[in-house]
Amino acid sequence: MPGQTQGSARTDPAKPRESPLGLGVRALLRKRSSRVALVVLAVIVLIAVLAPLIAPYDPAAQPDIVAAKDLPPSIAHPFGTDPYSRDVLSRVIYGARLSLMIGVLATLVSLTFGVAYGAISGYAGGVVDAIMMRFLDALLSIPRLLLLLGVLVAWPHLSIGALILFLGLTGWFGLSRIVRGQVLALKHAEFVTAAEALGASRRRILVRHLLPNLVSPIVVAATLGIAHVIVLEAGLSFLGIGVPQPLASWGNIIYDGSDQIARLWWMSLFPGLFMVTTVMTLNVLGESLRDVYERR
Amino acid sequence: MTPLLSIRDLRTYFYTEAGVARSVDGVSFDIGEGETVGIVGESGCGKSVTALSILRLIQPPGRIEPGSRIEFEGKDIVTLDDNAMRDIRGNRISMIFQEPMSALNPVFSVGDQVAEVVRVHGGVSRRRAWDRAVETLALTGIPSPEERAKQYPHQLSGGMRQRVLIAMALIMKPALIIADEPTTALDVTIQAQILDLLLNLQKEFGTSILMITHDLGVIAETTSRVIVMYAGEVVEEANVTELFAHPHHPYTEGLMRSMPHIGHDTERLNVIPGTVPAPTSWPQGCRFFERCRYSWDLPEHEHPPLYDVGANHKSRCHLAKEPQRRNQPHDPLVIREGAGAA
Repeated sequence: MPGQTQGSARTDPAKPRESPLGLGVRALLRKRSSRVALVVLAVIVLIAVLAPLIAPYDPAAQPDIVAAKDLPPSIAHPFGTDPYSRDVLSRVIYGARLSLMIGVLATLVSLTFGVAYGAISGYAGGVVDAIMMRFLDALLSIPRLLLLLGVLVAWPHLSIGALILFLGLTGWFGLSRIVRGQVLALKHAEFVTAAEALGASRRRILVRHLLPNLVSPIVVAATLGIAHVIVLEAGLSFLGIGVPQPLASWGNIIYDGSDQIARLWWMSLFPGLFMVTTVMTLNVLGESLRDVYERR
Repeated sequence: MTPLLSIRDLRTYFYTEAGVARSVDGVSFDIGEGETVGIVGESGCGKSVTALSILRLIQPPGRIEPGSRIEFEGKDIVTLDDNAMRDIRGNRISMIFQEPMSALNPVFSVGDQVAEVVRVHGGVSRRRAWDRAVETLALTGIPSPEERAKQYPHQLSGGMRQRVLIAMALIMKPALIIADEPTTALDVTIQAQILDLLLNLQKEFGTSILMITHDLGVIAETTSRVIVMYAGEVVEEANVTELFAHPHHPYTEGLMRSMPHIGHDTERLNVIPGTVPAPTSWPQGCRFFERCRYSWDLPEHEHPPLYDVGANHKSRCHLAKEPQRRNQPHDPLVIREGAGAA
């Protein structure tokens, strides 16, 4: 530190703020692949948010179940129609809404549990930490998909809320390990001792001093987590046990056409494209963020 | 007048797998109001553990042994409950850490961190805390404090960061500031500035300072009374002028002999041969015995008490009883080669 004394003493006070979040966003904008990903993601989010305005038809309407079913793409129905004569484009647009919402909300649930569990375990240390980690090991030994399948088979017809809750509740184990590791590494940092020496309570130190230092791994985990939940939800819906009809999610649109997947190709191609694009952009962003934060 | 801080028989032990490390082993001293006391000693002598004990920041497996007493403003810190202890930390006693980069939280602006101290203790508004933080940063000589307060630690120089830490320590106008090697991580030119700053602020606020360092230069420049620690014990205590004029304990003497002197053309610096023994196995008798130039058979078996060797001058050395031994220095019993590297 002494070496850089003079140089950094004069770093321009004009550009004072450099928080981890700002740093991440600026780094994302510098790289072309993540710039593209951001734009693509923004478009998809916009589509999801504005679904009622841009969808040409009611996604649940079945105008003519005999004459208008299984229509291939045309001007009137760019993505074709499904076996119930519903417009696939409208369903894909509404599906974006639901799939993203499920991804974001379930990830929020995961974050809440993962961060709280990991932080408490790491900060408490000792016996508490050991017990909490063994419990986590037990949870981690059950495959997530199996857990979800079990729950959804035992309770079919779960509401969307319950589905989100279950997706979230099965998604925090890995994150809590990361958080615990970070807290463990940071809790003996000198700035933590310094905070204690200045009279901060344990809770204040955890919430005010440690958690903000975990923003980077949490943001990365969240970005990748949303992508993972979207895929999981699609998988469950494809098996017919995810999002209930007549709601549209990308997974259950594909499921509706899965009986005749070769003939009704538009029913899996278009929602599939949307899903793959979304998941890819999220993964690109997550990886770029990880690069930025780990390079520091 | 009762002293501000009075430590009696402080023992802080660490229960490690290698055994019980008696890092601080029966330390007693006082700090008066407005006084600057220095603790000097080499790494591992227990000076930092003493500092952390005063704030009761010893983490398991370490603990302050029952029977130790740390009296501060009429309260016994050793037995105080956690809430009351938190009221003291940062408010009545605060601490300046050695490494200003790692003592600051990297993700908050420095102004936030100074203001945080007020918010922990003050119950004042965010706005008011920020204003006080900026005022205090200005006091520590940070130019354009309003702008600097918004910056993050990595954007400041080492000296600036240390000023921020001083601001954090000072903002509640504590009665005692513990400065643990406050200048060790800084450039020499900055060191002098920081010490001057500390002393000026001390005059202004009447704060007592406990200056912990291994640097006799810092001691000479800043303190009025000095405590020399070795192997978890106080081995010598005196006023600063007395100590430099008449060091009594062979360890203190060795520390002074190992200082470079301007004008003396020496090929190599004197060293104290050997190393500090492990805190898990202090020697039975005199703990400095193996490294001492005057050691003889007796102290091996008898642990020396703190002898009075002058006005307010104490030394934990049997030379107090047999001063004529000082005329016969010899090579200590340890092998010289091992010491040459140290």
